[in-house]
Amino acid sequence: MVNNKKGSHRGDSSHLIVDSCQSYPIKITSVSTLACATFSESSTTTSKALQALTSAALVLPGLLLTPAHASDADRINFQFSRYQEGKRDLFGVPNNLKPITADVLHGSGIFSLTDRTKFNFSYTQDTWSGATPITISPLAANGNRPILGNTATGITTVGASPIINNSQVLLDRDLNPLRQDSQNHQLMNKDPRSVMVLSSASPETRNQANFGLSREWNEAALNVSGGFSRERDYKSNFGNVSGRLDFNQKLTSVKFGSGYTSSNISAILDHDASPYITKTAFSRQIESRGGSEILQGNRHDWTGNLGLTQVLTKNALLEANIGYTHSNGYMENPYKVMTVIFVDPAVLNNNQTTPITGDMRALLEQRPNVRNQVAINTKYIQYVSAFDAALHLGYRLSTDDWGINTHTFDANWVQPIGSGWTLTPRIRYYSQDAAGFYNPYLFSQQTYRRNEVDSLGRQIWIDAKNPNIQYVRDSSFNLIDQNGNLVNEALLNVQPKTASFDAGKLPGNFSSDHRLAGFGALSGGVTLNKMIMKGVALEAGFEYYTRASSMQLGSGGRNGFADFDYYVANAALKLDLESTNLSMPGRNLSQHQDSPTHHQHKAPPAGIMFGHMLDKPGDFMVGYRFMHSWTNGNMMHGAHKVNDQTIVDQGCDTTLCRFTPTYMNMRMHMLDIMYAPAKWWNIMLMPTFMDMDMNLRTLAGRPAPVPGVHEHQGIAGHETGAVGDTMISSLVKLIDIPGHRVHMSLGLSAPTGKVDLQLRRLFQIDGGLIHFGMQLGSGTWDFMPNLTYAGEYNRWSWGAQVNGIKRMENQNKSGYRLGDVFQATTWGGYDLTRWLTASVRGAYTVQGAIHRDFNSFNARIGPMDFPANYGGQFWDIGLGLNAIIPGGRFAGNRFSFEWVQPVRNDFNGFQLERKGALSATWSYRF
Amino acid sequence: MRIRKIITGIFMLTLSIGLSGCVSVAAWERGNLAKPQMALDPHPLQSTVRMHNYGSREAAASTHSAEGGGGCGCY
Repeated sequence: MVNNKKGSHRGDSSHLIVDSCQSYPIKITSVSTLACATFSESSTTTSKALQALTSAALVLPGLLLTPAHASDADRINFQFSRYQEGKRDLFGVPNNLKPITADVLHGSGIFSLTDRTKFNFSYTQDTWSGATPITISPLAANGNRPILGNTATGITTVGASPIINNSQVLLDRDLNPLRQDSQNHQLMNKDPRSVMVLSSASPETRNQANFGLSREWNEAALNVSGGFSRERDYKSNFGNVSGRLDFNQKLTSVKFGSGYTSSNISAILDHDASPYITKTAFSRQIESRGGSEILQGNRHDWTGNLGLTQVLTKNALLEANIGYTHSNGYMENPYKVMTVIFVDPAVLNNNQTTPITGDMRALLEQRPNVRNQVAINTKYIQYVSAFDAALHLGYRLSTDDWGINTHTFDANWVQPIGSGWTLTPRIRYYSQDAAGFYNPYLFSQQTYRRNEVDSLGRQIWIDAKNPNIQYVRDSSFNLIDQNGNLVNEALLNVQPKTASFDAGKLPGNFSSDHRLAGFGALSGGVTLNKMIMKGVALEAGFEYYTRASSMQLGSGGRNGFADFDYYVANAALKLDLESTNLSMPGRNLSQHQDSPTHHQHKAPPAGIMFGHMLDKPGDFMVGYRFMHSWTNGNMMHGAHKVNDQTIVDQGCDTTLCRFTPTYMNMRMHMLDIMYAPAKWWNIMLMPTFMDMDMNLRTLAGRPAPVPGVHEHQGIAGHETGAVGDTMISSLVKLIDIPGHRVHMSLGLSAPTGKVDLQLRRLFQIDGGLIHFGMQLGSGTWDFMPNLTYAGEYNRWSWGAQVNGIKRMENQNKSGYRLGDVFQATTWGGYDLTRWLTASVRGAYTVQGAIHRDFNSFNARIGPMDFPANYGGQFWDIGLGLNAIIPGGRFAGNRFSFEWVQPVRNDFNGFQLERKGALSATWSYRF
Repeated sequence: MRIRKIITGIFMLTLSIGLSGCVSVAAWERGNLAKPQMALDPHPLQSTVRMHNYGSREAAASTHSAEGGGGCGCY
């Protein structure tokens, strides 16, 4: 209970005291106990009162119902959140890079296994894209421009930034950067300003899952949980144990917890930047594979915390926690570099006053390998009876051995405003000191590379073809070997022997990550909650956050270049399963147990959408639908395999193809929210969230690379993901006679999925729009009609559906439109047991090719970039299982799975083979 | 070092309040404390979102740090 587990959302939410009721508590003052029943304001019937008394009696043995138990009612949450940053200020440098956006999908649930044991899980997927700062440089150096570096094999210049061809900065003798007029190159004043150097990023996706088990006793609780987080470049596994002990009739609670996280970093270094970045400090951690350089690292985090919650009065309580974290290993950000300006000391100290030239280089940042952090927070909560509201005041102090001290103050006002609404405005102020090793950029008084000399002061020369043999020159500039013999220079490729800078003259640790700088931040927001029916609540939150160097406590103002702002908006659906069961006596568990299928028709296979309707007015259903489809293996043309040369010659319209996909996987998460206003009419809302990944290979026989033309490089594939299109549908019952039902659904798909996702710039070449198939939606308003027939007799069930997608616009904002779709499918099912049904399904699908084309740059490197290579005719077989949980705590939950196996494909143009798709659904009717 | 003292001070103060046991709120007086708005975290879903964003934008340590996970936050 100590942790507010990322995702599991049980956390501290109400651990203290008694029961926290959804509506108003009733007090039963006998035997010094109190109980709350889930009362709704309007329904104070006798049976309700009886129910309340019964539940009061049930808790008598424990005297006080443990709070965590009460609040951790079985429930499911779905949440979508968007993080959007504002543009960074580049002080006049043109910035056409999109700021960072992150879309987060979250689902979590808690289920009782026994009276006192609960299982909880959560799943979070986030996808981010946009421009991220990789370093900071003097503005006078023309801001967004190159970064430089030396590698184990030699020195090079880094260019992750839009401008790469200038790595020099003019300095005065006090090392102040000097601004030069861009037109006439006249020197102007000194310019101490710094600027962030931004680099765009292709979309990346992270998945995290947590699982936990918790056990409640009368005056204690224990929770064990673990999970993992997966990104392409960062994998971590974690586990923790936490617990709670109650004292003093639950007026005092002590909480404790301990956890461990192990992380593996495997970062593919930026292709653009890598050749220019000095990576010598990490050369033993860098591995080359498939044309990419991969920086490997490990990191371990141990945490512990201890907390106390104390009731002060009948209207106030206080909480205090202390947490300690010890981390070791690779704690750098592998994509951040430090700008180091090398100044030749011989020039600097030559007693002249003319400006000198600084040699700007980029070095991978170096942080300490150990970090110890301590944080303490206190929270005071006061009930304000005049408003029936609660004021929450919080303060947190944290400190660590990197020199970062932070202060956080926050205040919430939680105000119920009647009719199930709660409004919570909130404000927060945060301030942090800079890490001791933070610097916007560094100076080093040495040359980045220097010519080596021997013990006699003579410059050393080497033969490029045989660098181990050293030569020097005699007084006549003739090349002589180490034995003093003259060498015929014409036979050699003679070069000066050079040495890299002395890393010992640099600080041991350095970073210009602006998150380690000193700054202050002010944020404010509001949360709105609405209980729409018993057990079903909607929640929306908004927060605006602004960071400013000048707001740092006690000092500040020097890092204004890193100021930025962001907003976060989120929406959540919260389902309280226990509350719904309790509050609907007519739909309690025993009825489900009696005949789970009696008043609910048999469900169609998992791959069928809009396949059933709710039968009773006022019924409400929430479902989750997951689909994973795989394409990989051979490239096909029509129904046949093709070889690389054919693809090169014919796959890319009038040009020659250079790449072809090796695989593409698509995962789709869909929320089904269904409501029956009338027996004959249902409405349905289906938001989708999707993510995709693919990789490419070079085609055999492809034309040679042309300078300035986008090439796919290295081993990394592409990822995209975020909100897909949102479907709204209206279902109308046409026929409903025993054993036969027909309904029609008229749906609309709103273009909420992005169709203008771009690949990042590589090698100073724009990646352009990512392939059609990797965009997240259709981009057009689509009409989705369907007609479904379902029949059943004894243990048999069957059905058929025809459906289509008609694009209602000629083109989307990126200039193209997807082909229309028509599908016909039929299925048969047999009840293996009372609760399990097996099904077989056949489906025929035809989809048109893409119309028109991208209206802005797309790299057109392979068949997936050409509209003619989309769509086709497909014949599939589906094998499915449907289950409805017949009894017990989870009665009424439905699960279904279906594997769809392609039998015959006839592709338009050149496409990757379809390997199949898995559909899985869960639904629950309230 | 001053900060360490403050930390210790605040924690000891809190601890002493808690362990004093002088507080007495009878069970039937806890109706207000039981209200949802008085929960330690009235909006846990919101807290998770915020903590993730703060965690990727700020360098502060957390007293919730035993939660684990969270990934790189490399953006």
